[in-house]
Amino acid sequence: MKRTSGLWQVLGWTTLVCLIVMLTGFAWAIKDTWYPQDGLALPSGEAPSETASGGDWSAKKELYVTAIGDSLTKGTGDPTGGGYVNRVTDGLTKEMGKPVKLVNNLAINGLRADQLIVRLEEKGFVNAIGRADIVLMTIGGNDLFQFAQNGGTLAEGGDLSPELLLKRLPEAEPLLEAVFRKIRGLNPGARIVYVGLYNAFYDLPQMQPASKVVSQWNDYAFGLAKADGNATVVPTYDLFEFGLKKYLSSDHFHPNDLGYARIAERVVQALQ
Amino acid sequence: MGNLLALIQNETLKVWKKKRFAVIVLILLILIPVFVYAQMKISQNTEKKFQTDWRAELQSRITDNTNALSSERIPEEWKKWRRALVQQLQYYLDHDINPQTPNAVTFTRTFMDNAVSLFIPLMVLAVASDLVSSERSTGTIKMLLTRPVRRWRILFSKLATLTLYVSLIVITTALLCYLISGLVFGYEGWGEPVFVGFQVQGSDVNTTGVHAITQGVYLLMQAGLIWFSALVVSIIALMVSVLLRSTAASFVTMMATIIAGTILSSMASSWTTAKYLFNVNLEVSSYLRGTPPPVEGMTLGFSLAVLAIWGAAALIVSFTVFTKQDIMN
Repeated sequence: MKRTSGLWQVLGWTTLVCLIVMLTGFAWAIKDTWYPQDGLALPSGEAPSETASGGDWSAKKELYVTAIGDSLTKGTGDPTGGGYVNRVTDGLTKEMGKPVKLVNNLAINGLRADQLIVRLEEKGFVNAIGRADIVLMTIGGNDLFQFAQNGGTLAEGGDLSPELLLKRLPEAEPLLEAVFRKIRGLNPGARIVYVGLYNAFYDLPQMQPASKVVSQWNDYAFGLAKADGNATVVPTYDLFEFGLKKYLSSDHFHPNDLGYARIAERVVQALQ
Repeated sequence: MGNLLALIQNETLKVWKKKRFAVIVLILLILIPVFVYAQMKISQNTEKKFQTDWRAELQSRITDNTNALSSERIPEEWKKWRRALVQQLQYYLDHDINPQTPNAVTFTRTFMDNAVSLFIPLMVLAVASDLVSSERSTGTIKMLLTRPVRRWRILFSKLATLTLYVSLIVITTALLCYLISGLVFGYEGWGEPVFVGFQVQGSDVNTTGVHAITQGVYLLMQAGLIWFSALVVSIIALMVSVLLRSTAASFVTMMATIIAGTILSSMASSWTTAKYLFNVNLEVSSYLRGTPPPVEGMTLGFSLAVLAIWGAAALIVSFTVFTKQDIMN
């Protein structure tokens, strides 16, 4: 009997304390939800991670790559999921004989240049670009090739026409300029690699003239890169013109794994 | 009063001697290391990928979820959930706070959040389901009821015992979780800041009421809310145990109800009146975290009220039936 009452002493008090703790927690949760007080003072102004020094790559033990842009950088259409970005880091690691690491792939499907400009203000983008030695980027495809709401399937080119692309060009060009300027503002030392546009609709007779608009856009990007001094444009328009079926994925717009591999090869060559 | 206390003592010791609590502790001791190991593997993986740069990892989670939003094959309610998540993560990143600092307190917090809808109710049922029905199946209920004690006092003592054990179970779960995961992740983290007060409105998150609290306080509030939902489950289980007279039948009934609740929560967005069912409202701790509720417009107050009404109704039924019922067999 004595032993049992000892057990009751321990058990009774322990469970009672537990009950009181739980009631406190419950009351606190209700109070905090309905009558919130000022929270903790947060440690602010802490400078986020180091920025890459730029300059001489051969002196560095490892290089960092940040990728930004639209679905092409994301790797949409690639069944292996690697896109060109992972192939570029792998290829560079092999060629340079030192680890080339991806800080982050921040590409977002369907992103347009005006949206990218807004995103470049975000902390995550600022950090990732600040850390990079190389910034890989595709942007502008959605600005030019975006389909209007009315009619046409993707494979037929929607209601796109070379005239429409040409009309969109002057709106989109200043946005690209702003993107270059912003990236340079975030990281003065990084090499910017802009992967150029291609005409995914080259096999449609009515869209063949669009290649001219695309090359006009690429020319414009080339001018920006020249003006920047530490940027380069990697052309891709020639990769797909006679092998659309072979190198594009089934959505008839994004490259497939073979297509991405070819883009990656070019980027690696451009960076050596 | 002394009479009542003696009854509670008797009931508490009975549950203890039936080794119900020992089984619960054993289950926890086996399961928590499994989850700790899994979490450790995940952490090692992300560390390899992001070199302990949590900002890059957080940004990549934001980007991944943003990308998932653009897919047209994803149902609208998932998108809502992701959109809210993206805005929350962005808030953390903007304020330079790591939402997932690797330590035992963070692990415990995440574990408790995941345990609230199934794991904790299951453990509570181990005690609650046979509190009355086991007396029936063993026949001891006749001995109990032939004593010169009012019937409602007997049921009340069982209810009090249940409340004490539910408190003990919730705290033991959190404590064991902390102690075991601390071996791997380290015992710090009580003072890390966490944001509470996100308000989900449609697909948008209102951040005007957001404020930071320490993780320790968060854990306490979370445990308190989980305790309430577990208590309501146990009270309803007590009612079922009074009504069904068989331990196995009442346990299975309750378990089926709870599981149905978790399934319903994930598809209740089209059937909005489901929000009045108690089993859709069990995840009360999610309001603290700020994830979108199963049905739009549900709030912490709403869920607590629904649970309280169900609990009260179950108590009324149990007491009425228990005091009137004939004991036959």
